[in-house]
Amino acid sequence: MKSKLVSMAEAAALVPSGSSIAIGGSIIRRSPVALIRELIRQGKKDFTVLAYPAGFTTDMLAGAGALKRVEAVYEGLFQFGQSYNFRRGVEAGVIDIRDFSEVAMAARFRAAASGLPFMPTDALLGTGMAANNPEQIREITCPFTGRRLHAVEPANPDFTLLHGYIGDEYGNVQFPLVRDADDLDPVFAKGAKRLIVTVEKIVPHSEILKNPNLTYIPHVWVEAIVEAPFGAHPLSCDGYYDEDEEHMYYYQACSKPGNFAEYADRYIYGTKDHWDYLAKALTPERIFALSAR
Amino acid sequence: MAYADDYTLNELMVVAASRELRDGDLIFIGVGTAGRAFTVAVGIPIAAARLAQETHAPNLAIYWNNLLSPDLSQIPPRLTQHHLTTWPTSAQLHNCSDKNDMLSRRLFDVSFDSAPQVDRYGNLNITAIGDYRHPKPRLIGCLAQTDHFAYVKRPIVLTDLKKRTFVEKVDFITSVGHLNGGKSREEAGLYPGGPWRVITDKAIFGFNEKSKEMEILSIHPGVTLDQVLAEMSFRPLTPDSIPSTESPTTEQVRLIREAIDPNHILLVA
Repeated sequence: MKSKLVSMAEAAALVPSGSSIAIGGSIIRRSPVALIRELIRQGKKDFTVLAYPAGFTTDMLAGAGALKRVEAVYEGLFQFGQSYNFRRGVEAGVIDIRDFSEVAMAARFRAAASGLPFMPTDALLGTGMAANNPEQIREITCPFTGRRLHAVEPANPDFTLLHGYIGDEYGNVQFPLVRDADDLDPVFAKGAKRLIVTVEKIVPHSEILKNPNLTYIPHVWVEAIVEAPFGAHPLSCDGYYDEDEEHMYYYQACSKPGNFAEYADRYIYGTKDHWDYLAKALTPERIFALSAR
Repeated sequence: MAYADDYTLNELMVVAASRELRDGDLIFIGVGTAGRAFTVAVGIPIAAARLAQETHAPNLAIYWNNLLSPDLSQIPPRLTQHHLTTWPTSAQLHNCSDKNDMLSRRLFDVSFDSAPQVDRYGNLNITAIGDYRHPKPRLIGCLAQTDHFAYVKRPIVLTDLKKRTFVEKVDFITSVGHLNGGKSREEAGLYPGGPWRVITDKAIFGFNEKSKEMEILSIHPGVTLDQVLAEMSFRPLTPDSIPSTESPTTEQVRLIREAIDPNHILLVA
């Protein structure tokens, strides 16, 4: 096995502008936020985001003017309200949106993970999503029953970007918790052309060997792995730390009236790297308060 | 069985929703943000499902968000991600693939859904108001609401009656109800079914068996037909004689207040 451990800046440099990216986690939990911040810092843009529910990371990309298109089941920030930057982009016609239901979007990720040219689904019959997207949703007839169905295009991103709990330098990533059974990150990972993972902590390979049943992303899928403690902040990495409500309220207070630049100047462009971000966004008291105990 | 003199509108809605649930049902309840939206999307449905479990439907099972059969006597004090993930009392959690397969296998009997636009045939829009490519405003997308209307046997729409919500035709069909009425839903290739009831703060509606138009089933005590029609942009079918929505019994009110929502977490607004 070959070491795939790189710095955050090196990982972000692998992703060119214009790439399609699938972002792991969901809405306000366990997304690779530090990596998205670094992409914005490096001035990368014109991304197509493929997500199940899109949330904070997609909204940041929209705020930074780095988002061209979104294909997802939801855009919003859960209890923190609307995804203001994303909405403004769609309302202005700047962001191309392709809506899918959960069953249909999961089918698209499964098609990509299985290497199939499409997946059949009956979830979108009669909907506005199908009527507005003949490019990716096409009517077919079931060869066995003659039923009307749709074929949906695979969600096959150039890059999948994930945030996980622990991993080794080779890219074996584990859930440390038996309780957390989140199941879509591995599907996003399998369907990607290239996979980058950030983790809370890099552990020795010997630690991974103790519980191979906890490995949900194996090294052979991974191109690069980055150590990023609090790498999902201000989102939760549940089991480790909860979402940072104060930070999210500040983000929304900036984003709602269209002042994303104020937030970005303080926390993205105004921080030179992830360590600098952590120094500016968190205090020892705050880390203690957010940490799961 | 004594009817209660003292009950709230939310309690009336809880009891009305509970009456639609059957023993053995598997119920899907989604998530809500805060205030009235939380009460309508989460609070009333959970209280209704719990009330059904306590009375006529002991074998009813609840899937709340991604939690299967959570112990609802122990709702976490704060619904943050960590608290939901580590809630020690649900049978299974956070498995989207299983939930999707259970939906498309048609294992769910009832779902609770709400939307900013509902039309005469029970189609819902939670995606975009106005032109889809230049909406004003853009809404939240689809989530699994589309899937509920495609696969769940008896979806229930639970929302407050408002003129801008109850429109003649939705701007965008996120979730296919009875489409254009009559047999149009089946002709489009969907399973029979579609929305079963619409429970609001003023009246309860069903859908006419033949035409599939929305039809008033009952009006809440103290509300007039004119008050109902004033909050709708289309005229639903109105039978000559419309009954009053059945009031909660003293026992139902007691269960809601003492056993189901003693800490006022569910019926908040």
